[in-house]
Amino acid sequence: MTRAGTALRLVAPKVLQFAFVVWATYTVTFLLVRVLPGDPVLAALAVQSGDATTVDPEQLAALREQAGLDGSLLEQYLAQLGALLTGDLGTSLATGRTVVDMIAGVVPGSLAVAGLALVIGVLTSVVLAFLASIAPWRWLRDLLVQLPPLGVAVPAFVTGLILISVFSFSLGLLPASGSRSGDSVILPAVTLAFPVGAIFFQVFITAIREAEASGYVFTAEAKGLGRAAVFGRHVLRNALLPSVTSIGLLIGYLAGGTAVVETVFSREGIGRLVVSAVLARDVSVIQGVIIVVAVVYALAALLVDLSYPLIDPRLRPGKAAPKPAAPSTFSIAPEADALTSSTTDPQNGAAK
Amino acid sequence: MTKLLRPTTLVSILVVLLCVVMAFAPQLIAPGDPLAGTPRDRLLPPSAEHLFGTDSLGRDVFTRVVHGAWLSLAAATLAVGIGGLVGGAIGLLCGAARGRVGTAIDFVVMRFVDVLIAVPGILLALIVVATLGFGPWSIALGVGLGAAGSFARIMRAQVLRVRGEEYVEAAAVLGVRPLGVLGRHILPNAARPVLAMAALELGTAVLSVSAISFLGFGVAPPAPEWGSLVSAGRDYIATSWWLTVLPGAVIVGVVLAVTRLARVIGESR
Repeated sequence: MTRAGTALRLVAPKVLQFAFVVWATYTVTFLLVRVLPGDPVLAALAVQSGDATTVDPEQLAALREQAGLDGSLLEQYLAQLGALLTGDLGTSLATGRTVVDMIAGVVPGSLAVAGLALVIGVLTSVVLAFLASIAPWRWLRDLLVQLPPLGVAVPAFVTGLILISVFSFSLGLLPASGSRSGDSVILPAVTLAFPVGAIFFQVFITAIREAEASGYVFTAEAKGLGRAAVFGRHVLRNALLPSVTSIGLLIGYLAGGTAVVETVFSREGIGRLVVSAVLARDVSVIQGVIIVVAVVYALAALLVDLSYPLIDPRLRPGKAAPKPAAPSTFSIAPEADALTSSTTDPQNGAAK
Repeated sequence: MTKLLRPTTLVSILVVLLCVVMAFAPQLIAPGDPLAGTPRDRLLPPSAEHLFGTDSLGRDVFTRVVHGAWLSLAAATLAVGIGGLVGGAIGLLCGAARGRVGTAIDFVVMRFVDVLIAVPGILLALIVVATLGFGPWSIALGVGLGAAGSFARIMRAQVLRVRGEEYVEAAAVLGVRPLGVLGRHILPNAARPVLAMAALELGTAVLSVSAISFLGFGVAPPAPEWGSLVSAGRDYIATSWWLTVLPGAVIVGVVLAVTRLARVIGESR
């Protein structure tokens, strides 16, 4: 088997999976919109022209054609799928612009908030997990482990409004709304970082507990290594894999969270686009956003999958060691724990 | 049993009971009218007379929160019901079909379930709301469909687990018909993790429903609902913190209590 062949055999199924996720997302949204009662074109027209007006049949037909909503269901499905393959997400019912244009215009704003939120959330939870593992006081360790449910339970709109009232109105440090100045990204990102960090922390701390219970940590402690050394060298590295897997989950969460956060902070972005599309009953824009989110999610899943061999030498092709099944990115981390709970520690075992 | 007596669990049970009373008999806790305001008393801070203060129309916020419980909790419960029924049925059928006639069907359906889990629930809910029209019940349907994927996955896993147990094999050997085995042996034994999941999803659903109401797609203005109460307080955030913080705190409390109970249901065996 040549190198290229091996690489292809590894990559091809993941690429196929990527294509499937995008196709299935399109199919699910298409079915949702068509199976539920209500005509999206009529609904969008009714919002635009007020409720009392009668609809001109010609205008209706023209709009239907423009939105790709004419013909039988199967024709619509295939025509839109064909367009999707060429990167065309259809035309907005409310504005007449192409959905791709509308989304591309607002992506950078959302990306800045979501990216910063991911960084803040992950860094904070790594620090907290470190403290929760090595803090000398039991009460602090117990307290820290109790935090995640709280981070998830506080709705983002409440966190956001409290942050605005404290940092913008009381202290006057950061802008409450808009997206013009650079520091306007901070408060929305912090708002999103709470639930994201909480989810990551939960996955991370579970992986750490799993690693701590293993034989190689016992050995390391028996050798006389300090707590911090054991944590940094043995526990952390083995807890990495399931945690990386959860990033895919977090991306979905971030994408959903932008709708609320961007409304609270009056920022331009994907979430705001969706909210105004719902107001205008503009189904094609929402469908486009969902597909774009699925593409991003599937891309992240693909990258995470491909990064496993880099993170964990046991997963590299050609190693003779019994190969544990790579966890699917779709599964939430606890299922992936089998990998880290194996009793050998090849990353560090060889170095000693 | 001792697990039920832990203080956090007791408090959680108390909060849930309080929620039930708020939803079905709000007059017992807040006898006032949630829609009637005294313009003279507008934007009063919390006091003994107005526990949560008053809003811009002089309406008592506490009364509005208590009376808003019905819509918020009913929509969230309906969402979990829809998600549980749809997802549970899919998971049950996939789990039962696998290995007999439907391994291929199971594979394809479960990949669709993966997608349903991957797409952010709030976006799915919003596309349903945009198609069906605004209101708490279309929100419930949207949030429920978003939750269906998780139910399908856990139900299928449970069915597959229970199917391998000896008593199920014994029943099949004794000649109990497949549907009988499914209903009498597999379903009851697979129920607990699904119930724990339902409780967990109830917390998530309360959050999703209130978030979508906050965005303005829920109930029409005068009627109280938790998410729209917070939204209404948004314009006064600089001066009247109680309009957003106190209804928000109620949401947090309810979600925490429900999540706590979900964990208790999940771990007590």
